Amino acid sequence: MASLRRFGRDGAIDLLFLAPTLVLLVVLLAYPLVSGIALSLHSARGFELTGFVGPDNYVRAIVGDAVFHRSLVNTVVFTAAAVVLQIAIGLLLAVFVADVRRGRTLLVLAFSAPFVLATVAVGAVWKFMYAPYFGLVPTVGGAFGLDTATVAPLADTGTALWAILAAFVWRFAGFTMVVYLAGIQAISRDYYDYAVLEGAGPWRRLRHITWPLLWPQTLALVVLGTIGTLRVFDLMWIMTAGGPSHATETVSTYVYSTAFRSLDVGYAQAMAMLLLLVILALTIVEYRLLDRRAEMASS
Amino acid sequence: MTRLRSPRWSTVLLGALAVGWLYPVAWTLTNAVRPTADIYRAPWDVTWPPMLGNIGEAWSRGELGTALLNSTLVTAMTVGLVLVLSISGAYALTRLRPPGRALLFLVVLAPLIIPTEVLIVPLFSMYRALGLINSLPGLALVNAVANVSFATVILAAYFRTIPRDIIDAARMDGAGRLQVLVQIVVPVARSGVMAVAVLVAVFTWNDFGSALVLIQDPDAFTVQLALTRFATFYATDQGLTFAGMAIVILPPLLLFLLLQRSFISGLTASAAKP
Repeated sequence: MASLRRFGRDGAIDLLFLAPTLVLLVVLLAYPLVSGIALSLHSARGFELTGFVGPDNYVRAIVGDAVFHRSLVNTVVFTAAAVVLQIAIGLLLAVFVADVRRGRTLLVLAFSAPFVLATVAVGAVWKFMYAPYFGLVPTVGGAFGLDTATVAPLADTGTALWAILAAFVWRFAGFTMVVYLAGIQAISRDYYDYAVLEGAGPWRRLRHITWPLLWPQTLALVVLGTIGTLRVFDLMWIMTAGGPSHATETVSTYVYSTAFRSLDVGYAQAMAMLLLLVILALTIVEYRLLDRRAEMASS
Repeated sequence: MTRLRSPRWSTVLLGALAVGWLYPVAWTLTNAVRPTADIYRAPWDVTWPPMLGNIGEAWSRGELGTALLNSTLVTAMTVGLVLVLSISGAYALTRLRPPGRALLFLVVLAPLIIPTEVLIVPLFSMYRALGLINSLPGLALVNAVANVSFATVILAAYFRTIPRDIIDAARMDGAGRLQVLVQIVVPVARSGVMAVAVLVAVFTWNDFGSALVLIQDPDAFTVQLALTRFATFYATDQGLTFAGMAIVILPPLLLFLLLQRSFISGLTASAAKP
């Protein structure tokens, strides 16, 4: 009994070391979350609540708002494409860079440098590269006989989202590469030596040794990439502000303009809560699926 | 491919790709020191000798001096706060035995899954009620929430490599928890602490979304908000925009180059399974 009480007091003191973080999370995460749920169930004028409306805001978003639907589809498609491309490009870069003997550090630095650039700057530079007439893309397009005045990837509803995706993947692929590179360097050489003796070519070594052994990294990158991309706001806001005609609208940009331009905050928060549900659902599903596969691979 | 006798062509191709990869960065930095008229006439050229005119004008017209000071303050406050929170939190989670440790780890990870973006409206309401709009410490607090999870995950990965024997021996000799943390854990894991500091600094410096909502007074603008001035007010003057961007992207780039080892090891650890 005495030892149990002592353990309890020790545990309480141990808990004190986490207390500052917990206090911060209660004040700036739990409280806004609860008040956000309340807000989403109210109608509002400006930031003053005008009445309890129950699930009306949610119904309006789910049933009656084509722009919200568009923004949700854009967000999910953009996230799926971004995660797949970052994984593919990051893995290929890592596989090739791991093989370089001289100048590996320089290559790692070059490919990961865009990661430290501000989104505002990345957005502005890529916007200029896409600009009609003198941008890089129209210039290259012009060299292939396209009219330089009409090549404007960001102004075309069919290409705008993909044009932003290129800038996004450019910024983040270096991060994926760095994570994979550390994983590859931890794989024992013996596997590869044995595979070479058995006559396995580069593709089969990648497919049957590197890829399965990097599964923990892939799991982390897929989950982190999904969570990090579903919230995407900055790059769209800088490059197109959601346009042209909502072609690059994401849930976050739509929530922002609904709350701070249209001042329809109850409705904006209901959409934000729906985005949170999507993030939670996809995170849980991915984690379950990928983790099960990891267990199967290791057993 | 992997771990095979290094064929030279792949190194050459990678080098060429790396140059192309860095092209937008180099282009931004070179256009920052060119006259605006030159940029429009030949956007893909280099002007020699460099002209510093746009840098000076961007500095004064974009009020970058104030913005750099504001961003430095927000970044310093965020880094300091996140270091205190994540060092003591990761210590408790990996080397102490608080009750409900697994659940506590999930709670600490919550900000990763509940991003600022979905709470920005209630945060704005709350900050308005508390008079914290335009407050730099207020912005630092929101940035701290956004960064504390991955910082704790990274430090937990570093702290786990410290043998328990060392800590137990120190405790047997009568050292308290805090003494062990300050005199053993932090010095042994100082590269992890450094990695966290660099990453948090870069992420906070580059934060745009929360600053856009929580800062409205131009006197409290961070560098990212100041940059949007160029995009809106001086949209026709690309020379100024490039100069402003160069000033704003250089501090994190230099930090990255100087502390590359910490940076890369921090990134690697951030994908470690908690």
